[in-house]
Formats: sequence, C-alpha cells, structure tokens
Amino acid sequence: MSKSQVHQRGPTAPEMNITPLIDVVFLLIIFFMLVNNIVSDENVPLIPPSLDDSQARELGEVKKITISVAPGVEPSPERRLDPLLISGESAYIRVGTHAEEIPINNMDRVTELLKDAVERGPRDAEGNTALEVRLRADGAIFYKEMQQIMAAITAAGIQTVNMVAFLEDQD
Amino acid sequence: MSQELDQTVEHHSARSRRAKPKPKIQLQLTSMIDVIFQLLIYFVVTASFAVDEGVLTARLPEGTGTVTQQLETNPVKLEVILRTSGPAGVQIEIRGLGSRDTQNFAQLRQLLKSLRHSPQNTSGTFASDSPVIIEPQGEVRWQHVVNAFNAAMAAGYENIRFKQANE
Repeated sequence: MSKSQVHQRGPTAPEMNITPLIDVVFLLIIFFMLVNNIVSDENVPLIPPSLDDSQARELGEVKKITISVAPGVEPSPERRLDPLLISGESAYIRVGTHAEEIPINNMDRVTELLKDAVERGPRDAEGNTALEVRLRADGAIFYKEMQQIMAAITAAGIQTVNMVAFLEDQD
Repeated sequence: MSQELDQTVEHHSARSRRAKPKPKIQLQLTSMIDVIFQLLIYFVVTASFAVDEGVLTARLPEGTGTVTQQLETNPVKLEVILRTSGPAGVQIEIRGLGSRDTQNFAQLRQLLKSLRHSPQNTSGTFASDSPVIIEPQGEVRWQHVVNAFNAAMAAGYENIRFKQANE
C-alpha cells in the first residue's frame, strides 16, 4: 500500500511571514535617521536657562528660526550640577540650520543671515515678517554678549524675540 | 536516435513530479534583521528631542528715540537692576527700593506682585502695563536676566523690556 501524499512530504515546517515586520523596521530607521539630522542641525549642545516658576510656553507650529549661542564647554553630567560655573564668553553663534560657526565679533554676519531668512520667510496681512526668532543661549553666557546679539536681531528688522528656557525648573 | 534516448531518460512521470516538489529558494534573513534591529535601537537611543524647552517672548530694545519718548509721557516705571555677585551669582535690586527684599527671584516676584495694582491688591501703585525695565550689568549671566524677565511676567506685568544701551 502506497503512502498518502502528506506522509510522503513529511510534516510542513512552520514559517513566519516577516516581510511586513522588516517594512516597518526600515521605515522606523529612516524616520529616526532623518529626524536625528534635522534636530541636531538646529540643536546646538547647550544648557538653556532654568527658571524659578517658569512662565515659558511652547512656541507651537509657526515658521521660526533659531539663533544658538554656545559656550566653550559641552553639556556634561558634571556641568549640569552647576551650569553657571564656566566662562561666560560664547564660543560661537549659529543661525538656523547654517553650519557656519559665527564668532561674537562678527555680528554683521548674523544680521545678514537673518535678513536673508526674513526676506524668504512668511509675511502677515500687513506685509510685516511673520518669522519668529528663537534665541537659544546657554544660561552661563554674559549679558553683554547677548546684548550684541539682540542688537543684531533688531538690525535685521525683527522686533520680538523668543528667549528659550526650560519649561520647568531643572533643580 | 541517441538524442531521443537521452530525452526519454530525462522524462519523469506526472506522479513522480508531484511527489518531489522543487526546492524553494529561501533568503536567510535572520542576520539582516539582527543588524536592522541594532541600527533601530541606536537611532532611538541617540535621538534627542528638545521637548522640555519653551520660550518667553520679549520686545527687543527699539532703535533710537521712540522708547525714550514713550517713557517721558509715562514716567512711572520699575527698574530691575542686576549686578554680578561672586563668580556666577547675582544681586537683584529694584531702583529706589534697595536689594534687601530681593535676595532671590522668588522674592523679586513677590515684591513686584505687591507693587502691582489689582482688584485684590488696591495698595499697589503700578499698573499692569507700567514698563518694567531689566537693567543687567555686562557680566551678569543670561540665566539671571531671563529669570528676572520671568519673575516680572509671573507678577503680572505686560510691558517688560531690556534697557537700551543709550538709555
């Protein structure tokens, strides 16, 4: 008596269909690679001011450009213990996603880059610029340097500035 | 003739074809998935989002003239002076009131609040739209400047700005 077909082939090996899993994992990888690049371009490593009873709010979805003022020291766990115990002189300033590291004595370049962004940015009904400027500076920077940067922002025709700070007290 | 013979040797009956299915082509995916997961974990861990940061909106010191004229017509203003104290400390003073009652920014907030006129505080002498001018010395750290701005905002003032260089 001959064997039935099932017996001839033997038991079927269990198989997992992993194609959709690989699809999803690839999408996640691509997402994180892109987001990482975009965020790191704008996010210069620094520690923004930590406020007592912070009134800071989220800026929301508006067209914005970030001016970062970085200190000479990178944020480290030791630095976070007392963020102000470093020199108050800035190492460089970065405007938006421009990779250029502008020194404090070249405020004209900051104004120039901002003017360019204002020109290409959105406008409100009255024709004024609707571009919001985020001033993201390390808490340890001297006010005299920030004053020069604020003057450079004013020179680009911008009247309000959004000072970046922590939403909650970090202590 | 010999060719024909060869072909007959190659011939399989329909039954034997069913009995021996062609071997399936299989991709060895396990190692690739291992690598992809490693990459995914790396990017998830290193992604840093600035989610805990917010903003305080301030008017920038305007050019020459306009603000000074406004102040002449509205001379009731509060001036918060910030001086350096130690390597990174700050001494807070409201002009005319000294620095005794403003040892820290929580006290500055309280004092500014008590000076502001409101239905709950009728003894206050400053209106909510009175100008509050933050006047930091050059070497005061940015954190203290933003903290003073934040204290005035928390006390309910609406017209807060930084001192101009020529004021």
